[in-house]
Amino acid sequence: MALDPQKFDSIAKEYAHRDPADIIRLAIKEYSPNLAISFSGAEDVVLVDIACKAGGAFRVFSLDTGRLHPETYEFLDKVREHYKIEVEVFFPEPSTVEELVKAKGLYSFRRDGHKECCGIRKVEPLTRALRPLDAWVTGQRKDQSPGTRAEVPVVQNDPTFGSPDSPLVKFNPLANWTSNQVWDYIRQNGVPYNSLHDRGFISIGCEPCTRPVGPGEHERAGRWWWEEATQKECGLHAGNLREAS
Amino acid sequence: MHVRMVKKRLLDGSECRKCRQAADQLSSRGLLERIDEVVWAVEGEPDSPGMQLGARFGIDTAPFFVVRDDAGTEQVYTSVMRLIKERLGAEVSDRDEAAGIDPDDVGGI
Repeated sequence: MALDPQKFDSIAKEYAHRDPADIIRLAIKEYSPNLAISFSGAEDVVLVDIACKAGGAFRVFSLDTGRLHPETYEFLDKVREHYKIEVEVFFPEPSTVEELVKAKGLYSFRRDGHKECCGIRKVEPLTRALRPLDAWVTGQRKDQSPGTRAEVPVVQNDPTFGSPDSPLVKFNPLANWTSNQVWDYIRQNGVPYNSLHDRGFISIGCEPCTRPVGPGEHERAGRWWWEEATQKECGLHAGNLREAS
Repeated sequence: MHVRMVKKRLLDGSECRKCRQAADQLSSRGLLERIDEVVWAVEGEPDSPGMQLGARFGIDTAPFFVVRDDAGTEQVYTSVMRLIKERLGAEVSDRDEAAGIDPDDVGGI
């Protein structure tokens, strides 16, 4: 089964404020077994917990960039053991990483920005991870990044990895949850979590590019903090992105 | 098949970075001539044709491509590499495909 893509807007509106468990159950019902949860080793562990309780066949994958914190590696294994599930780990292409390091060293992102390194270490393995899937589930939330994530539907045609010839559905069950709601769930349900969170890390990525945030700082302030935060120059709209047709 | 490319023109008259990169990807493969029409989304002009197309298709980043087949059906591609691979018939490596994606556009990783 699969949802009618023409109805994604109405489905997203219907499910916008439903419990994430309802959205994950919908994803499993409609796309299992070609459905996977993207697990970054951070608070998106909530998705794994909810999906395991929902039942049904789904995959879980993580992207090992080669630069993760030791705590994140330990946490990936902890999740594997705790839930008795396979966590598929995707690695970047060795030759591409080697070329980057040979040309620019191990910290090119400090000079050139993070996009090239992320493209090689995260996006390319993600492309491979998504290829066999009909749908994937992410922990993306509106409150994670003001402005750039202002519009995060709970279900959508993936605008980045899908295409008319190779459609891919993206579920964002936590889109309308706040960080507080995520952590309430973790604590109330005894969900294991990355120990970095106990040291002030909110958003967790690669070790060189992630730091704890201070009081009053937004969680994304702990990522690539040396880069100027500017509005993406290629954006076409601000605020609401869809006009009534 | 008719291929429209929507590009963004910035306030200083230049085109946006991703539009330049997409054009380079097409040009380096000898495929720029396969773009039948360029439509401009002009910064600060929400009524410009490209902005209108973006609103119509729910696309919030330039460039994007509207492919109309002979039956009149329109499909939108937000990735130049996907367009090249799926509609323009050229080989695209995983590496090139990934290089065409802005990691900040992904979300959830």
